[in-house]
Amino acid sequence: MTRTIRVEHLARVEGHGGITVTLDGERVESVHFDVIEGARLLERLVRSRRYDEIAPIVSRICAICSAAHSLTSLQATEAALGIEVSPTTRLLRDLMLRGENIESHALHIFLLAAPDYLDYPSAIAMAGRHRDAVALGLRLKRLGNMIQEVLGGRAIHPVNAVVGGFGHPPSTEELVALEDALESGVSDALTATEFVASLPTADFCDTETTFAALETPERYGYADGKHITVRRSGTAQRIPIADYRSLTNERVVPHSHAKHSLYDEQPFMVGALARLAVNGGGLTEAARSVMRTLELQLPSRNPMDNNKAQTVELILDIELALGIVRRLLSTDLHDTAPAPIVPRAGTGTAVTEAPRGLLVHSYTYDADGRIARADVITPTAMNAASLEHHFQDAVTRGAALDDAALRKRLEMIARAYDPCISCSVHLIRRRFEGRRP
Amino acid sequence: MQATKPTVGIFGLTGCAGDQLVILNCEDELLSLVDVVDIRDFLMAASGGDEFSTLDIAFVEGAVMTRRDEEKLQRIRRRAKALVAIGTCALQGGVPAMADGLDWPSAVRDVYGPEGDGFDALPARALHECVEVDFSLPGCPIEKHEFLGAVADLLNGNPPQLPTYAVCTECKMRECDCLLVDQGRFCHGPLTRAGCRARCPSYAVPCVGCRGPVPDPNLGSAMDVYTSKGWSPEEVVQRLRTFGPLPTPVPAGEAA
Ligand code: SF4
Ligand code: SF4
Ligand code: SF4
Repeated sequence: MTRTIRVEHLARVEGHGGITVTLDGERVESVHFDVIEGARLLERLVRSRRYDEIAPIVSRICAICSAAHSLTSLQATEAALGIEVSPTTRLLRDLMLRGENIESHALHIFLLAAPDYLDYPSAIAMAGRHRDAVALGLRLKRLGNMIQEVLGGRAIHPVNAVVGGFGHPPSTEELVALEDALESGVSDALTATEFVASLPTADFCDTETTFAALETPERYGYADGKHITVRRSGTAQRIPIADYRSLTNERVVPHSHAKHSLYDEQPFMVGALARLAVNGGGLTEAARSVMRTLELQLPSRNPMDNNKAQTVELILDIELALGIVRRLLSTDLHDTAPAPIVPRAGTGTAVTEAPRGLLVHSYTYDADGRIARADVITPTAMNAASLEHHFQDAVTRGAALDDAALRKRLEMIARAYDPCISCSVHLIRRRFEGRRP
Repeated sequence: MQATKPTVGIFGLTGCAGDQLVILNCEDELLSLVDVVDIRDFLMAASGGDEFSTLDIAFVEGAVMTRRDEEKLQRIRRRAKALVAIGTCALQGGVPAMADGLDWPSAVRDVYGPEGDGFDALPARALHECVEVDFSLPGCPIEKHEFLGAVADLLNGNPPQLPTYAVCTECKMRECDCLLVDQGRFCHGPLTRAGCRARCPSYAVPCVGCRGPVPDPNLGSAMDVYTSKGWSPEEVVQRLRTFGPLPTPVPAGEAA
């Protein structure tokens, strides 16, 4: 007897997606992660636009990752036009990405994922009995937004980061205020750890997982890496970022007509858990102790651990951001002003770590400094195949459960990936006609 | 549950979720907001929204870019006493509406290959092209203070108020150097609705027009300024279209 489990419209994620699984008895016939967003075609629409217009347009691919989209875009443009930015600009950008990561993780852990563990439909409902936890999450989220506002001029779709540098560097008063806020953030992040450690265990998968992240071992960075590392069963392969296509080699899969990212025929996972697998050597002592408190073992065989990995990154990012702010307070920030730009033809590729994982922007410019070709590959598009792999594992293990219980597990796994469906510009999916329920 | 609280729904069509995120970014106000309104449907933040109850206020983000979006919008319209478009995509199509006369099906094919042919993918339309819209909050994304102000106004039975002057006015009040007149850079300020405190020029970055046009844009005189600074008319039109159609005066009497 076949049965179909469907999540029509996944709640508490960014964007519009659904899940469809069919079982024949206890055998899983198919798993689909369906994306039901319209196609906004921003990489097509930027063609013929000049270098200064690109970042503000492509940041609109996704709000939660808008700083990452914006900075990755700027770096790809700078690489194509041969522009070098100052070390201070790089430091400010690093801080901006950490601010985004703090905001995004706090939002995800407390407002989107935690209600599942405690059986509430939302953080708003959860606030009835867990008001302190929700308030804590909102405080951490605000800290991340404060960093983004100071650096980017706006928490969503930053305006201040431009090709070659920053419109206006932060003032000393702003940096001092950030220092204060980050200092209180350290203790908030430790309280967050206790909260996450207190959540019930969620253990629906047990399968070998391949991880991919930007390699920045020395300082757990989110930009400026030269290689992507792919890790599986103790082996590691390195891909130069210009060869990103060999990683995101998208192919059509027969059951869905969709593009899947596979590496060496294997799905791979990107995001916080992958970064820990690749760059775990760069953790601070406090982050290591958070890992021990959360009993997070690496390499993980359970995608639900991504929620714990995000909690580790919360403390890490707050500590590293604090270090950057203190450095900036004794730095002259004037070399962040962009130098005049001389257009030229060229191609540039940039890879960063957005909150949800690897993000690629690759552009070709013509001699007038206008876009001839733009390619954007987002973490959620890369994660789709891995997500389905984990759906399959969870359903196989839980085939005896009733529909409601299975549906809940599938939703929790999907949320652990923290999908950003607006971002998945390359991942629009049609159901296989013959299988339409 | 107090039955007396006004009911609110927050919805997203095709967009980037930025306007919904602005609502979630009201970290200091969120918990007191839910004390005074009953949020019935907010899929980005809550599962199990109810699909049928009447809503006193529906906030809708994003453009209509699929048949599914259109059906969803019509269902929201039937439930809502007041429908508020939030964000430039909902007001005028937003960034996906920048390309004038682009053959959408072939553009879809261009990005997604032959598989793109079967997608439920339409060119962007603003909400008012599909249903009646009662109020609009511009911005890409919306401004927190305008959202919170609009909620307060609507709860008190007043229409939300928006500035009717241009970003240039705010810019001059902040005494920023003019990027257009002094430096010849392309700034959308003269044609763009104020309300962001001239955010971009205050960072010495030109306005890109994310809040959409002022109610009475003077395209002709702006064109003269841009061309006098060396921008070709084609380039001016392309840039002014970044967030949707070219600025045209709003017919008198239309909401905000
Ligand atoms: S108006 Fe801007 S912020 Fe709102 S959905 Fe559209 S792109 Fe996103
Ligand atoms: S910088 Fe832009 S917004 Fe400011 S006055 Fe000049 S044109 Fe207007
Ligand atoms: S200055 Fe222009 S682009 Fe910047 S926020 Fe205001 S309206 Fe938007």
